[in-house]
Amino acid sequence: MFRELASLTRREFLKLARNPAAIFTSLLLPLLYLLLFGNGFTFNPQSYVGPNPGQFPNLQAALDFLFRGAPSYYSYFACGMVGFVAVTATLFSGANVIFDKLFGIFKRVRGTPAPSAAVFGSRLIASATQPILLAFFVLGLALAFAYLPPLHGLSVTANVGAVGILEAVAAIVLLSLMFATLFLTFGILIDVPQTYFAAVNTINLPVLLTSDALYPWGTMPSWLQNISQYNPVSLCVNVLREVFFGSSAYPYGPGVYLLGLLGWTIVLMGLAIGLVRRALRPLE
Amino acid sequence: MQGSEAVVTEKLTKVYGGKVKAVSEISFQVHRGEAFGFLGPNGAGKTTTLSMLTAGLRPTSGQAVVAGLDVGKFPELVKRQIGVIFQESTADGDLTGLENIEVAAGCFGIPRSEARSRARSLIEQMQLKEASDRLAKTYSGGMRRRLELAVGLVNQPKILFLDEPTLGLDPQGRAGFWGFVQKLRKETGLTVFVTTHYLDEADGMCDRIAIIDHGTIVASGTPGDLKDKLGGDVVTLKTASGTRDLSDALRGLPGVFSVQHQDSSYRVKCQSGETFVPIAVDACSRAGVGITGVSVKRPSLDEVFLEFTGREFREDGEGMTATDRAVMMNRIRGQMRR
Repeated sequence: MFRELASLTRREFLKLARNPAAIFTSLLLPLLYLLLFGNGFTFNPQSYVGPNPGQFPNLQAALDFLFRGAPSYYSYFACGMVGFVAVTATLFSGANVIFDKLFGIFKRVRGTPAPSAAVFGSRLIASATQPILLAFFVLGLALAFAYLPPLHGLSVTANVGAVGILEAVAAIVLLSLMFATLFLTFGILIDVPQTYFAAVNTINLPVLLTSDALYPWGTMPSWLQNISQYNPVSLCVNVLREVFFGSSAYPYGPGVYLLGLLGWTIVLMGLAIGLVRRALRPLE
Repeated sequence: MQGSEAVVTEKLTKVYGGKVKAVSEISFQVHRGEAFGFLGPNGAGKTTTLSMLTAGLRPTSGQAVVAGLDVGKFPELVKRQIGVIFQESTADGDLTGLENIEVAAGCFGIPRSEARSRARSLIEQMQLKEASDRLAKTYSGGMRRRLELAVGLVNQPKILFLDEPTLGLDPQGRAGFWGFVQKLRKETGLTVFVTTHYLDEADGMCDRIAIIDHGTIVASGTPGDLKDKLGGDVVTLKTASGTRDLSDALRGLPGVFSVQHQDSSYRVKCQSGETFVPIAVDACSRAGVGITGVSVKRPSLDEVFLEFTGREFREDGEGMTATDRAVMMNRIRGQMRR
């Protein structure tokens, strides 16, 4: 099983390394979002401070309300971008399976005794690695922008210890695994690229738009806030924001959100294993 | 393996969607070390049979034993004993020739160092050494086919299944490919099961052949035996269109075994074409029917196919074309997967 997994994983990374255009565009998208989208919003939390109804007595209370403790929209948004890239970077993982089916490569692999776990696992490893690396790219770039005025950047205001780093990494890994599992399963079950992209779009937009990855929390209507707290993208982003900003604006600690994310991942993986094993069983 | 048989099927049947019987109760044996040709037009059931034998498709009923193993019970073990070259190109264009073979070796659980040494040896054997580090997408059609042959041999199979392996290759590529297969057979005693559209290839390459049509085997034997069954030469007479039917007149001529009439052509099986032609021309002339063309053929596999199916090799005269049938089968397979 491990030799088959290693061999097929090597194939995935070789293919990725030989596609510099895909690597370039995968870096370009978050770069443009960080540069243009993040800097395009100029929320001034100071305007929420004051004695009038709807205003807050001090800046921290306004920040807690608007950005759940983040010192600026940009810092809030940079964490949201990690969730955003976990979805967008895994979108094509299932499409690659469909193209491999069309080119006969999938058929050839299925003609060997390689177990379905190795066939799926190799693709999962490769697909999840991309958003994990991109998440570190996003955070690194956002931190660097803080030193490049007049750009806004990510300001970490909490003392992030080893546990915090582990919690952040675990959140990023779980979210990446979850979406890679979801889209790969689509790719294995669907044979037609057009159908795949239609299915993926019905998932990715609602998931992103019902999360608090990009919207300032305080400006979201309460019904959207309610939905958002169960959204896996929000769960991942909550962990990062709590770790980086040490906010008291969250009702639970990072561990609870990590557990929620783990629950999502386990449920989706359980479903995926059943469906994939059925689809890839030795005799059709 | 079970006795001296590499492949044994007993009433092997595949029905798609409970309606379309692609393969119907076929039984045959492939002896160890022989090259066995499986012939038939599109939609005849060749690829479905091959898929059942290579553990890709579950039979609806019947049994297939490959390399001594029941395919239905031990599909993974069967896959370890066989090599398969699929109809479509399956080389991974973004990997080099060597990497293609190494990855395939890994799929059989072969350790990396062993995989590398087997890949090098196979690349040399297939005369692809110069191109071994080039991406497969830069290979010509013939080179890709040879690479796929190398991939199919990476697990040192006992039986090699080839599904229309030379489809789309130019004559030089076809000849080259079969040269490698023959060399392999000579050196290793490999059993080869091949489906092909090219009757000349089956004639030259196979020890025995089976002809499948509408999912059933209509004839089998050595190419020589099958040609002998035709019993003589085949003369085709073409007459002007609209002339009267000469079938009865031709049947009455000496040395004639059978006459088939289609449009304005007569396909006459006779003892000797050379003797028959002047007599036939004379008979037609006396009947007032002008001959517009004559051809005499020694029996070939094309003739064998025509004899046993009543159709040209690439025709399907029962409403649905061979392409329609193949498209329909693919749709049904797709629906079943969903």
